[in-house]
Amino acid sequence: MGNTKKYWKGLDELNNNPAFVKQRDNEFNEYVPVDQFLANTNAMEESSTSRRDFLKFLGFSVTAATLAACETPVTKVVPYVIKPEEITPGMPNWYASTYFDGHDYCSILVKTREARPIKIEGNPLSKISQGGVSARVQASLLSLYDSDRFQSPQTGKGTEITWEKADSIVKAGLDNAIAAKKDVIILSSTIISPSTKAAIAEFTSKYNAKHVSYDAISYSGMLMANKNTFGHHHLPTYRFDKANVIVSFGADFLTNWISPIEHSKQYAATRRISKEKKEMSKHIQFESILSLSGSNADERHPIKPSEMGAYVIALHNKVTGGALAVSGKVDDKVVAETAKYLTDNRGKALVICGSNDTNIQLVVNSINQALGSYGTTIDHMTPDFTKKGNDEEFVKLCEDMRSGNVGSIIFYNCNPVYTAPAKLKFAEALSKVASKVSFATRGDETTPLCDIICPDHNFLESWNDHNPRKGHYSLQQPTITPLFAPRKGAAHNSNGTRQAQESLLLWAGNNTDFHSYIASNWKAMFNNAGDPLTFWNQSLHDGAIFIEGVGEEMPEHKKEEEKKETKHDHKKAGAVAVAGAASEKHENKKEEKKEEVEDGMKPDLTAAVAAIGAMKSGSTEVVFYESTAIGNGIQSNNPWLQELPDPITKITWDNCITMNPADMEAGKFNILERFDQLEDAPDTAIVTVDGVILSPLPVFPQPGQAIGTIGIAIGYGRSNSGRVSDGVGENVYKATPWINNSIQYTATASIEKGKDTYAIACTQTHHTMMGREIVKETSLMAWMKDEKAGNEKETVVHKGVVTDPMAVNLWDDFDRPGHKWALAIDLNTCIGCAACVVSCNAENNVPVVGKLEVRRSREMHWIRIDRYYSSDMSKAKGKADHLGKVDTYRKMEHASSANPRVFFQPIMCQHCNHAPCETVCPVLATSHSGEGLNMMTYNRCVGTRYCANNCPFKVRRFNWFNYTGNKNFQDVNPGMDDIGRMVLNPDVVVRSRGVMEKCSMCVQRIQAGKLVAKKDGRKIVDGEIQTACSQSCPTNAIIFGDLSDPESAVSKWHANDRNYKLLEETGIRPNVAYLTKVRNTEMEEEEGGKEEKTEGKKENKEEKAHS
Amino acid sequence: MGFKIFQLFLNLDVILLINLSRIKRENSSRFDFFNIQNMPKSFKKPQRKAFVILHFLLFSTFFLHFQSASAADGKSLFKQNCATCHKPCDQKLTGPGLKGVLSRVPSADWIHNWVHNSAGVLKSGDSYAKKIFDENGGSVMTTFPGLSNADIDAIIAYVDPGDCPPATAGPSKTEPGTGGENTGETKGGLDPFWVLLAVTGILLILAIVLRSTKRALKNVVNEKQGLAPEPDRTIWESFKHWCENNKRIVAVIILYFVCVGVKTCWYTVKDIGVYQGYHPEQPIKFSHKIHAGDNGIQCVYCHSGAEKSKTAGVPSANICMNCHKGISETANPGSKEEIAKIYYAAGWDPAKMAYTGDQHPLQWNKVHVLPDFVFFPHSQHVMVGKVECETCHGDVKKMTTVEQFSPLTMGWCINCHRTTEVKMEGNKYYDELHEKLKKKYGKQPITVAKMGGLDCAKCHY
Repeated sequence: MGNTKKYWKGLDELNNNPAFVKQRDNEFNEYVPVDQFLANTNAMEESSTSRRDFLKFLGFSVTAATLAACETPVTKVVPYVIKPEEITPGMPNWYASTYFDGHDYCSILVKTREARPIKIEGNPLSKISQGGVSARVQASLLSLYDSDRFQSPQTGKGTEITWEKADSIVKAGLDNAIAAKKDVIILSSTIISPSTKAAIAEFTSKYNAKHVSYDAISYSGMLMANKNTFGHHHLPTYRFDKANVIVSFGADFLTNWISPIEHSKQYAATRRISKEKKEMSKHIQFESILSLSGSNADERHPIKPSEMGAYVIALHNKVTGGALAVSGKVDDKVVAETAKYLTDNRGKALVICGSNDTNIQLVVNSINQALGSYGTTIDHMTPDFTKKGNDEEFVKLCEDMRSGNVGSIIFYNCNPVYTAPAKLKFAEALSKVASKVSFATRGDETTPLCDIICPDHNFLESWNDHNPRKGHYSLQQPTITPLFAPRKGAAHNSNGTRQAQESLLLWAGNNTDFHSYIASNWKAMFNNAGDPLTFWNQSLHDGAIFIEGVGEEMPEHKKEEEKKETKHDHKKAGAVAVAGAASEKHENKKEEKKEEVEDGMKPDLTAAVAAIGAMKSGSTEVVFYESTAIGNGIQSNNPWLQELPDPITKITWDNCITMNPADMEAGKFNILERFDQLEDAPDTAIVTVDGVILSPLPVFPQPGQAIGTIGIAIGYGRSNSGRVSDGVGENVYKATPWINNSIQYTATASIEKGKDTYAIACTQTHHTMMGREIVKETSLMAWMKDEKAGNEKETVVHKGVVTDPMAVNLWDDFDRPGHKWALAIDLNTCIGCAACVVSCNAENNVPVVGKLEVRRSREMHWIRIDRYYSSDMSKAKGKADHLGKVDTYRKMEHASSANPRVFFQPIMCQHCNHAPCETVCPVLATSHSGEGLNMMTYNRCVGTRYCANNCPFKVRRFNWFNYTGNKNFQDVNPGMDDIGRMVLNPDVVVRSRGVMEKCSMCVQRIQAGKLVAKKDGRKIVDGEIQTACSQSCPTNAIIFGDLSDPESAVSKWHANDRNYKLLEETGIRPNVAYLTKVRNTEMEEEEGGKEEKTEGKKENKEEKAHS
Repeated sequence: MGFKIFQLFLNLDVILLINLSRIKRENSSRFDFFNIQNMPKSFKKPQRKAFVILHFLLFSTFFLHFQSASAADGKSLFKQNCATCHKPCDQKLTGPGLKGVLSRVPSADWIHNWVHNSAGVLKSGDSYAKKIFDENGGSVMTTFPGLSNADIDAIIAYVDPGDCPPATAGPSKTEPGTGGENTGETKGGLDPFWVLLAVTGILLILAIVLRSTKRALKNVVNEKQGLAPEPDRTIWESFKHWCENNKRIVAVIILYFVCVGVKTCWYTVKDIGVYQGYHPEQPIKFSHKIHAGDNGIQCVYCHSGAEKSKTAGVPSANICMNCHKGISETANPGSKEEIAKIYYAAGWDPAKMAYTGDQHPLQWNKVHVLPDFVFFPHSQHVMVGKVECETCHGDVKKMTTVEQFSPLTMGWCINCHRTTEVKMEGNKYYDELHEKLKKKYGKQPITVAKMGGLDCAKCHY
């Protein structure tokens, strides 16, 4: 469990000692040592303060305080000395920029206020991210204001030094390495920036250095497979929007795999249905853990990682009619059905695989070739450059280091001491290198082992250019002056940060600043693009550009070298016994008609199949996966991400072992499906992978997890990386195995029950809908027959007549002639990615509360994604089995563990027109606006919490503490220090202790949007005003608009036959509408479900009639 | 000044006399409750009335001065057109000082040509033009084709004799004086409060003297009529005696004071946190009266945010420098030191006429402070609502140190929203809404409140 110092005051708490629990549950410690003081007669007598004096002091201080309160407080206002022309205080400026951390790529727009970034949105002009943005990209804003960042160059031990000294030490190290005829290495994550590459090239030519790319999450195996098929070390571009059938083998393409934001956009396009478009894609997922993509699939088949090869080969056989040897058991029926879907949709089918095993990927490529996917659903002519890490080179580097051949190493945006498999013993090898330099922006596991740290700027402070894909370019521009700029002065003598590229150029003897370096580089690169300045300005304005035909990954002069290298690599690959023979066989052919072969080559798969057959399987297999929030761990010191509940497990601030409840029963683990967060804690288990022992992690029941497998998220268990992330969870990178020349993320493991329990913070302990109609679902078939399928309207009995609940009104309606703001959420395209949650956090200054408070159910998120599983039990089934009501409901709480259906539902304040919260507020702090908003007036609230008590959706949040001022939260709350406070949105109040808060439907944006229209003297255009959640949604599942405009998108969704409102039958009339989820299944709704619904309704009616 | 003080006394006398006569009248009907209550009310804050009258008098004199100032045509033309680059004395600015200009130039006609088309004169190869062009760092003078020859002559007539600050005694010299008396704060002189106190003292002494005289006279009368002499009571004893005889009046008076006390307390408590009239001293003695009033600079020239943003904004030093590059000193005493503070802040070296880059941000004291939980957009009110700045900020043009004119309480905001009609004509945003509201309210005025202007979330979020 790593370091436990943060959340446990001692074993008492870990063991839930009753006395400790009692004390802990007492929020305000009432113990005041009065008795002790009074009993101490000595102290009383010795005290020279008489009662009279005491009263005098008391009177004086009260009077002084009163008088002081009467004085006018003086507020200072400091205007600019020379105001920059583009800044109007109080008005935001937007800049187009790019986020790329070596893992996630996204073209972004940055909102700045008074020259500080406060919000990140997607850039709609980008052809890759298309205006979408993910939770991680949203949260990267907070990483800028991380006071744990390095503020000065320093030694590995943390002694701050000047840049001059740092430069001289680095240069001496480099010179020594050259003198000793040893290698100089730059180790970096994938670099897609042409100018950075040019800077590295300048450096490497000066010091005869070598640049090695190494990604924490490796795509090396897949790259090798693609090279064997196409001769390019590239990943292709996937076009999910062109696919009718999507079959994914363990690829979580909606959150992590290659380009998740783009995939989400494309996927949603195929899933959105309307009266005009009645088709949707069929998504079949084979996987071991329950991933976000898998939970959105129409059909999901849990398989063990070791079975994946067999399934892929079996599918290959069915699709191509081939007869490759299938080793292992395969569900033939499932494979045949899947193959039928695929072959029925040739040219519109897509098979993807998340494995990093070259052999499996080769077979997958072959399936796609047979299906005619290349050129249709896979665009291999537009290669993707974002994943270029080369595992083989990395392993070779480790060997070189160990043998003492490396004289100097520079780390740029990578942290191999943390991410490399333990087997490689990277730290030990590193100790043999004389000069070690890191460009890290904040501490990590590698920096203490380095000699010198030359801190880079944050991405929002620096210039860069990016070429994520052939023909696609985007610029990254600074949106703030570097926070830790070199400062000279008596008070604050900071040496500051410096852009890594500038450091490299400086060491190579080039003093250019990187901005002009990029500009001149672009001038050379785009010499056909017209006036260079106009082109540059336009590109900078747009953020992302696409130029047909342009975009070799390397500058021209490097091309020749690359070609040579390619040949060389081929020989290597041949020796590596992957499918080398095949590729060599085809090499000549390839050279001849490289351009003609649209489909790539068809390598012989026998070797690959043999290798797959030889793969080890085990009784317990472990999958190391990237969680939606933390990803590869590069942003683990980000409290927004740490507190973002994982969409599937709903766990915050930890990684855990996910295990199928059936396995847990077999392993005698205590299943706490619905547990009291403060009292109960899950059992722990110790996982051992090939000799690497992981510290005990809590075991969490995960319905849908393949039997015999467990899942553990990577990116946790950091040390030396900052106050937020240190000691949270356990690092599992070290257990990743090295198989077939690439790092794998699945392994056989042994698992042993630990002695202790471990308390986790889970935001949703309730797993199923218990037969209530919270998420309404139907099948595509049923929906095509009847658009109201699965959405039977609720009715109530009023005065003995069955009526529509909207016809019954307890209140006198008042006339509201103006706008009527509303949200609509399409559950069919909501993939549960939680981008909206982080977006809301950033927009509305939602505080982070930390693990302990989350365990007390006091998380402050204004929007949450509820996740439900389907249950095997239904009311009808319970009746048939004579279970009785209590037992039926108890069983309904348990999700069907084998393979449940998963539902996601974003819940924010529903802005009920007849809001239950409004009527109970004794001070009218919450009331209804003329525009349909449920308003919350913080300065009026006295904190009775009646409203939260009366809210049926539990969306109201109470400020138990002054989160921005309370020292207990300084390790988790970004709003604590002066730097962290800069992230706050000045258009939204920071709430204080004792105040209720909730979703305001981003009223600040509504007000701003209305003002723009009023000033322009025009009507509001639909879609012009967006809430934070609707703007950030990568699948456009949330839309916001004005119901008073019948042409607005939101009005149309509210009038859609799939539309329903939560608890509509109670007459609360919410302003948020949901559209029924439609799954592309041919099955009709289960009989049980139907009966249950009708029965439920009957009961409902009875109850209503009763009341 | 003597006359003014005389006037003041006169007025105070009149007021006091009126009041005294009223007291006498009311005393005659001893049990008339309402009149008795009215009595002290008429006494309430006589200072205020004195103020009003005093102000009236002062303003009348002020306007007299103002008119005489605007009579100097050449001077105002000079200020409007030339003052950014030239000074009416020997001192050089961007252009040369203009004192004795007539004696330097070839002819009066030459000046006309030069002002109308300096570039043309320069092109024609005129030797004097070339000379001043070189002397002044090779910058061409802005042309003023709009100025007539008569205008130019008027300007020359003003600048030729010179108008250097220490030597001249123009009418502007009295301006700071009047400004000071206006607020009664910044300038010395007689404070009306002390005048009033002195008058009250004199009257008291008078009353005591009169009382003893009256008693003496009464004694004489009594003696003549053979009655016993008036008992020799001290003032305190006679007051007690009177109180004993008039218990009801005393009770009413006490009740009245209790009521007034409670009321005062109530309003004082209510006004905690309300800083109406707050006018802090600023780091630079910047006078809105001189800038917005005398020189007629538009509010939004400096507070440009008012039209675009939530905040009107305090102008940055470079806005000041737009004018003060040229104006380093005015006729107002102390102006040079104050303007030097801007130069220090902006990092401007007036000797070299160049920026040094050594900036020192100014820390102004905020006058209008809204709590953080209120969002007040200026641009909404200025651009859409077409509210004049003066509506909330008062007559800033007359304020030397600017003060908070409005209470800025929520009640004040709400009241305005209740009474202000929305200007919907010509704004298409309101078209549809206007139709609906017209149907609903008929001919009633459509106020902000009727369009949701009282919703909490209009200002609190």
